[in-house]
Amino acid sequence: MDGAAVSLETAAAKAARLLETAQLPVIAGLGTDVAGTRAAIRLAEKLRGAYDHLASDVLLRDIDVMRQAGRMVTTANDVRLRADCLLFIGPKLSEAWPDLAERLDLSARPRLAAEKAPRKIFWLGPGRGEAAALGATEIAASPAALPLAVAALRAAVLDRKTRSDGSSAQKLKDLAAALKAAHFGAVVWSAESLDRLTIEMIGGLVFDLNQKTRCSNLPLVSGLNAYGVVQTSGWMTGFPPRTGFGRGYPEHDTWRFDAMRMIEAGEADAALWISSYATEAPKWKRQVPLIALAQPQTRLPYAPQVRIDVGAPGRDHDAIEYSRDIATFTLAKATRASNAPQVAEVVALIDAKLAKGSEAC
Amino acid sequence: MLIRLAGGRVVDPANKRDGVGDIWIRGDRIVAPPQGETPDAVYDVSGKIVMAGAIDIHSHIAGGNVNTARLLLPENHRAHRPRPAATPLSTAGWSTFETGCRYAAMGFTTVIEPAVAAHHALHAHLELADIPIIDKGILTVLGDDDFLLSLLRDGASKAAVADYAGSMLAASKGLGIKSINPGGSVAFQNNARTFDLDDVVPTYGVTSRKIFESLQQAVIDLGIPHPLHLHINNLGVPGNVDTALRTIAASGDRPLHLAHLQFYSYGKEGKRGFSSAAARLAEAVNSAPKPLSIDVGQVMFRQTVTVSLDVVRQFDGSKLAKPRKSVIYDGETNGAGVVPFLYKSDNFFNAVQWACGLELFLLVNDPTRVFFTTDHPNGAPFTTYPDLFALIMSREARAKWLADLPKEAVEMTTLPSITREYSFGEIATMTRVAPAKLLGLKDRGHLSPGALADVAVYNDDPDRAEMFRFAHLVFKDGDLVVRDGRVTHYRFGRALNVQPGYDAATDRRLARYYDDLYGLSRDMFKVPANAIAPNYAFEEVVCGR
Ligand SMILES: [Zn+2]
Repeated sequence: MDGAAVSLETAAAKAARLLETAQLPVIAGLGTDVAGTRAAIRLAEKLRGAYDHLASDVLLRDIDVMRQAGRMVTTANDVRLRADCLLFIGPKLSEAWPDLAERLDLSARPRLAAEKAPRKIFWLGPGRGEAAALGATEIAASPAALPLAVAALRAAVLDRKTRSDGSSAQKLKDLAAALKAAHFGAVVWSAESLDRLTIEMIGGLVFDLNQKTRCSNLPLVSGLNAYGVVQTSGWMTGFPPRTGFGRGYPEHDTWRFDAMRMIEAGEADAALWISSYATEAPKWKRQVPLIALAQPQTRLPYAPQVRIDVGAPGRDHDAIEYSRDIATFTLAKATRASNAPQVAEVVALIDAKLAKGSEAC
Repeated sequence: MLIRLAGGRVVDPANKRDGVGDIWIRGDRIVAPPQGETPDAVYDVSGKIVMAGAIDIHSHIAGGNVNTARLLLPENHRAHRPRPAATPLSTAGWSTFETGCRYAAMGFTTVIEPAVAAHHALHAHLELADIPIIDKGILTVLGDDDFLLSLLRDGASKAAVADYAGSMLAASKGLGIKSINPGGSVAFQNNARTFDLDDVVPTYGVTSRKIFESLQQAVIDLGIPHPLHLHINNLGVPGNVDTALRTIAASGDRPLHLAHLQFYSYGKEGKRGFSSAAARLAEAVNSAPKPLSIDVGQVMFRQTVTVSLDVVRQFDGSKLAKPRKSVIYDGETNGAGVVPFLYKSDNFFNAVQWACGLELFLLVNDPTRVFFTTDHPNGAPFTTYPDLFALIMSREARAKWLADLPKEAVEMTTLPSITREYSFGEIATMTRVAPAKLLGLKDRGHLSPGALADVAVYNDDPDRAEMFRFAHLVFKDGDLVVRDGRVTHYRFGRALNVQPGYDAATDRRLARYYDDLYGLSRDMFKVPANAIAPNYAFEEVVCGR
């Protein structure tokens, strides 16, 4: 507390006082497991505050397109077992999911496909060397050119004329032919490296392909339970993060409840930062009173009023979290169990120290 | 704590009771009137109706697809009431918290989520853990995964199929087994756009009929109380009454539950090639052997969203989505689709569907065989239940609606000629006695001494919708949780599941199969017994033949 070591109880009580005396506290970061998320969202409601997640920019870019246009979607294991034609789109997918090639078992034939021919693999707009590393046929395109390239691919799929020409036009035609001939195609991408327009275009491409054949999207969602936080938030409030309780019921607004904006604009006057998976720190400049539940090595941008070092889910303690490997939740057993406090415990303790008292559930 | 509910009209058909009297509660159980003891609390419920807590056997309240629907349709569930202090998130529209509160307010104390893909069970249980008040359970969906289809292709023994089903139930902590357009998801992945009872699952050479019959037998062999819960082929297709009739015939005299039969009660008559065949279907149910039961899946006129693992149907239905956005999912053990839908009373097809559901309610004679559902949210959200009670209890209420429907739609049904009105006894049979029996819940659905003290007390309001919307009092496990339609505080119910015995060698075989096929441990897909949430407890429902 203010740089001095105190008991967890004392720190939690101070945190509770800071949060409950704020006009509009915000819970940010939210890098935690399901239990931590549940506790944090309940605390946010009680404080009539707001909550946001550190990966919201990426998460909400994806969700915004989905909730505007719908989507066809599949899982990594489906692609592994059934996809005979894969199209990767955009750069840095191997960064977004380092074990991807192994999870998709790309070098093997799809085990449950009707015809077990070698897979056809294409990559539109990869980063340098990415396509070759996967043995994919590369079709070059800069990120800025991707929306047009995907539009041209859509046109080729629908047998419409396009203005583009040259070798890339022919490559896109060949790609369209391969997707149309596929039994079960998959388009693999990540919102981390694509803009909204491209994501929208890809969604449209997949819908178009399904008029005659089968194809689906495999969006590589953010790891470290970011997608699990979206899911947990979804069932608890009906909405993804960037949701506030100022009026006594949840309201979701991607602009209004952006924690960074709220703090820089002077709307939020206290912050509870949670980052238990990695050493991420808040990026805001304005020095609002800060309570940080963070990993011990985390370097915070300014001195917090209260800092509580917490354990990492799945390492220091068992945790339920979203697994990209199985496209749903799983129990991650502690790999190096320790006594480091868990986010859920600490948040519950703060909750219990509020003057309003805790509810028995 | 000894409680006396004094002087209400007790409607308890399991005990052939319908008359004024008292109900006594001690702790979490109903007790016989004690001799010479003074109750700690007395509630004067004279003039009110007292029933056991209601049980919903089929309502999509939790899981990945329901959550996708929430995220897809933020505009459908804006909340606008500040919450009461004691019940966090209870006014968060369409949240798990609101779900528990609204069910409890109607006097429902047990609700079953009937469609959880085996690999997604943990997600469903996590959501159920955040649904307050009610007890809950899931049905595990089988029928489209490679392991089972390979067993059937290779002519495995009945015992092998039962062992597999037992192992999957244990891994997912299910209360029973459901199958949804069996084989349809695999067919869709192989580009099929329709899938019928005798169609063959591509690459496996196994028919949908074979899958359903095998799973039906497995449920019997494992001694699971709830019969196979089947979502049959061709949902929503004109003329599909034929599919339903063929499925009923295929079932023979073995136990089977057919889900949301309203969606299969369509003929092809009339100018538009769409008519009600519900009367025919009800007759087939009436004359089928006893162990066949159905639930209705009533359509009500309003905006909703359809959430289903029948991906063949959902992909086809997405053409009619309103608003025009759908999520269609291919998953390795089952597909799914989330398709928003607007049922309108001035739409010919929707009007026929509405009438079909009511015909089934009113023409199936035995209220122990027809179950009260809207297939929430597919036909309508469960929050429309009170209006639906009013419709089946009052010919006049139906006549009012019929007068406003398109005439050519009404002509395609027999509804105007039906005079039947459900009594309180029949309502209690349909929503209490029968569901408890169908799920094997011996201490629920009735008010005998020893029963769980799940009790709903209603005002005898002539407006039946008002009566059922806001119960006067609701007790869960003997704890008064609802007063005048408002939840006073949270408590958390239990998750019901079965644990049938099976050959443990199957677990070893499945473990090797997951290692080999996925390169992942099967443990990743299992629902852990603890660790879901501090307030989440399982309760075993006993199996046995
Ligand atoms: Zn259903």
